[in-house]
Amino acid sequence: MKLEVINLTKSFGETNVLKGISFSVESGKALGLLGRNGAGKTTTIRILMDVFHANSGEIRLDGKPFDPRRIQIGYLPEERGLYPKRQILEQMVYLAMLRGVNRKNAAANAKRWLERLEVSQYQDKLLETLSKGNQQKVQLASTLVCDPEIVILDEPFSGLDPVNSQILQDVVQELIHNGKIVIFSSHQMSYVEEFCEDIVIINHGEVVLSGNLDTIKRDFGKDQLVLNAIDHTPDDFSQLIVHFLPDLVHITGHSKDGVIVRPCEGVTRHELLSKLAQIQDFTIERFETYKPSLNDIFVARAGE
Amino acid sequence: MKRFFTIYEFELKSYIKNKSFTITTILLAVLLCAATFLPRFIDMSDMLGIEKNVTGTEEDSKNSKDSSDDDDIDDTTKIGIVDEKGIFKDTTIFKQAFEDTSILAMKNETELKKAVKSEKVSAGFDIKDDLHYEYYVINRDMYDDNQAIFESLLTQVHQQIYCEKKGIDYASFSAEYDAPVSCTEKILGKDAGDNYWYCYALVMIIFMMIILYGVMVATSVTVEKSNRSIEVLVTSVDAKYLLFGKVFAGATAAVLQIALVLAATLTGYHFNHTLWGDKLDMILKIPGNVLAAFAVFGIGGFLFYAFLYGAMGALVSKTEDLNKSAGSLQMLIMIVYFIVMFQLPTPNSIIMKICSFLPFSSYSAMFVRIGMGSVTATEVITAAIILFLSIFGAGWFAARIYRMGTLRYGNPIRLTSALKNLKNN
Repeated sequence: MKLEVINLTKSFGETNVLKGISFSVESGKALGLLGRNGAGKTTTIRILMDVFHANSGEIRLDGKPFDPRRIQIGYLPEERGLYPKRQILEQMVYLAMLRGVNRKNAAANAKRWLERLEVSQYQDKLLETLSKGNQQKVQLASTLVCDPEIVILDEPFSGLDPVNSQILQDVVQELIHNGKIVIFSSHQMSYVEEFCEDIVIINHGEVVLSGNLDTIKRDFGKDQLVLNAIDHTPDDFSQLIVHFLPDLVHITGHSKDGVIVRPCEGVTRHELLSKLAQIQDFTIERFETYKPSLNDIFVARAGE
Repeated sequence: MKRFFTIYEFELKSYIKNKSFTITTILLAVLLCAATFLPRFIDMSDMLGIEKNVTGTEEDSKNSKDSSDDDDIDDTTKIGIVDEKGIFKDTTIFKQAFEDTSILAMKNETELKKAVKSEKVSAGFDIKDDLHYEYYVINRDMYDDNQAIFESLLTQVHQQIYCEKKGIDYASFSAEYDAPVSCTEKILGKDAGDNYWYCYALVMIIFMMIILYGVMVATSVTVEKSNRSIEVLVTSVDAKYLLFGKVFAGATAAVLQIALVLAATLTGYHFNHTLWGDKLDMILKIPGNVLAAFAVFGIGGFLFYAFLYGAMGALVSKTEDLNKSAGSLQMLIMIVYFIVMFQLPTPNSIIMKICSFLPFSSYSAMFVRIGMGSVTATEVITAAIILFLSIFGAGWFAARIYRMGTLRYGNPIRLTSALKNLKNN
């Protein structure tokens, strides 16, 4: 299966929230939808789920118009909500049946997911009697109870402690392994880096970066080096670089490991290393290819 | 359709599992059924105005009569009379007119006032002449008929005095003056007097049903917004199914509760109606055609308003804001209720005719016309068609409001802005 979002636009009154969002994702892959607060991630997801109608653009599944009610979708919305005064198993069966699963399979799926998420002991309890973390797990189990082909998770890790986060990570990995399409929105970059082959960074309603995460990282770090010197902070060292190597490198940024530089045109790594070795004012500690984290890429693209 | 039934079942269970709903239903059914058995345990013959069945030996009867007389002496109402001019020559007519009342003769107005103030007598009459008197009482009851009885006696005395003066034989005058008129009633249509009380009761029941359960439907919509489950629901199933499922579940719960309470009451009365002297027939012996009209128009009216309540529930996201959005709807229901109640004695009035066709009011006005007035089959069918088309219209409108209000959390949405929004979309 291939889900394609093509040139979505959406405005609320005079405010243009989405200005042509496009991306695609295939079965067995996870797409990380990233952006700052108010960037347009949740609006994009809500258009996907037909909560809102787009002003223009289209969504296709295997080339045909996409109708979220004609395919099994597990949707974990940003605004969590179930029935606090109903029994957990009862409402999970109800939600599965609303998606067209028969009662018997719905009950079996509900029990299986409650077991998998380690909350099966609460199946006959009212939701309101559970802790926030366990309610979050029940919400996730309810998302998956219809055996979805497409899973859309809007900030799934919020409210989970590290142990429960690990359980959720395992579940998401299983979904990807089982050939599901997973669309994942989160501010927690470490989780996105772990699951997602592809990312889309949205800023002010526009896609500012998209593609395969490894390729993006490689391209982003291309021809850049991280330099550091013994007994110098990155800030001190960047002043020394400006002083001693003005014709050899441009400083492009800082990281916790050192100063990020790009060699000037025609300057080889060998020449640069030789020059650094000749300077007596500092001793080089680190000289390596820059490998940006997703956080670095996100801040660079969405953090103006 | 399968999903509609899934929603219907889930929503209905929420009513049935609700402890206050179950307890209220059982309690009401048991209490009303038990009330119909009261005459088996308590002597209610005086209250109901029916004769007692006296059984037992003659001696028992005599003892009983004696003790009853003793009680009467203690409990009898006393009325004081001041007749300084001796207008009433024969005081026995007082005793005949005021049953179970002792008449105490007083010397003058001062003594009478004192007796009334000290509650030695419950009321008193100071007779000035055969056409004037003064009535003394501490607190006048709403249903005090002492004056009416006394005036009838005084009129009689005045007529006697007049006849004596004119030399007319009072007995023959009285026989002609009060000559009894004989009538055999032949009602070819309906007797509004007979049908009045159960129509009154049914109008009240349907009014209470709409107010009570309408608010429950609105609350169940608002709760889904306040607990944020609405986003999961509307992305799983069409909003129309959700709203129709909720409203029909509410209607079923309402009918179930009322049917259980009515069944318990009617069953109890069935076994005890002779002990009640058939006095409750006017409320509990409802003709089949009126019950059928109540079922069609009552349930139809409930559904119509329940959809509108559902729409009002979708305009707010906190249950405490519900009164703001549903206030105007409740006002409309109250207005319809009072119009129908005030027009109940005149079921064929033009107002009732108009109300019986409008979907806002036909739920009560039409079955009142069926029960008490004259209405043709064509009129009934036309009103039913208008009502049921309006129900689907209200359902469609409410589902659109429900869908529009899905993710609008925060301040209540004004109905006018909601309508404008629907128009723009």
